[in-house]
Amino acid sequence: MNILCKSRILVSSVCRKSSLLDQLAVPGCTSLIFKARCHSLAVNLSSCQQRWRYGACPRCPFESKRCYTDRGEGRLTERPEKLEYETEEEEDNRRNSNSQNQGFSEVFTLDVLTSLLRQENAVDLCVIKVPDHIQYADYLIVVSGVSPRHIRAMALYAIKVFKFMRKHGEPHAKIEGKDAEDWMCVDFGKMVVHFMLPETREEYELEKLWTLRTYDEQLKKIPVETLPEDFIFDANEFTK
Amino acid sequence: MTFLRLLQQLPVVLVQTSSTILQRNFSVSVATPAIQKMTRVRVVDNSSLGNTPHHRPPRVIHVYTKNGIGKVGDKVLLAIKGQKKKALIVGHKMPGDRMTPRFDSNNVVLIEDNGNPTGTRIKVPIPTSLRQMEGDYSKVLAIANTFV
Repeated sequence: MNILCKSRILVSSVCRKSSLLDQLAVPGCTSLIFKARCHSLAVNLSSCQQRWRYGACPRCPFESKRCYTDRGEGRLTERPEKLEYETEEEEDNRRNSNSQNQGFSEVFTLDVLTSLLRQENAVDLCVIKVPDHIQYADYLIVVSGVSPRHIRAMALYAIKVFKFMRKHGEPHAKIEGKDAEDWMCVDFGKMVVHFMLPETREEYELEKLWTLRTYDEQLKKIPVETLPEDFIFDANEFTK
Repeated sequence: MTFLRLLQQLPVVLVQTSSTILQRNFSVSVATPAIQKMTRVRVVDNSSLGNTPHHRPPRVIHVYTKNGIGKVGDKVLLAIKGQKKKALIVGHKMPGDRMTPRFDSNNVVLIEDNGNPTGTRIKVPIPTSLRQMEGDYSKVLAIANTFV
């Protein structure tokens, strides 16, 4: 109980500091300070997380995550990956959560997923925005892991967090490829996450395919299929 | 009926006599009730096993469903180049549900025992209805280039 209070105080103090700094509006400084804050937040997150796993701190991770996503709006240009922020949705969520006074009313957005993957020491996190004309998903995420155990742990943790935030009536998410030790997949509706080992990642090169689409090298290497010279199209065959 | 059989045998004969003929990559036949044992299928990924020419087209020897009929999304066992390989059906000639695509050939993607696809790219359009189905299809959808 004491630990809970202390952690909450820590998190709220960090949030207040960060909000003050934002009001100062000094972009260069804030980026550096934010990185430091990020680190401290991450530390808090990990410590909070451990307590959550023991069942002592259910609300802590989500409070801190909310702060993280707030700060994320100011950091659009610094992100190396291609991301689009749904700021209106986050504002709505904040309003909802403030009125309901529950940590569970957050939506499982891309920010939540990327922050939890970073927390889990994911190697080479890559987020790709799927173009609109491909009606598959909004975002494709490819993550590497250190070992098959690491990948499995990351996938299970992602599912756990998703279950926590899932609302009544939303479709479930299951791990695909549970018995494959080098490639696991989770389909969260709007986002699809692939957990692979580095060797598997090199072999399939999903990032290249999904960013280059038709200009992908492996696709170009596939020989063009031509009809054989003796091919005779007989209409009778198809009408039977 | 006999004429049909002759016509099916004729291309094979022609392939043997002419030396400049390219190997046929797919079989032409009438539409069968979806995919069952002994159907010749077309492997659509870029795996070496599916694309190297062989004197016999890959055939289905077992369908992993309750009845022996395979539709889109079902796993089958193929006999390719003298070896057994599991595969996933991604399209068949038989018309299926309304608003699902019908293909001109019975397409199949080779799969390992653990569910990983053997090839790394699929050029042929893949139906997006695979996403809603129960099963592990995200990997096949991830290596696909076009969707239908």
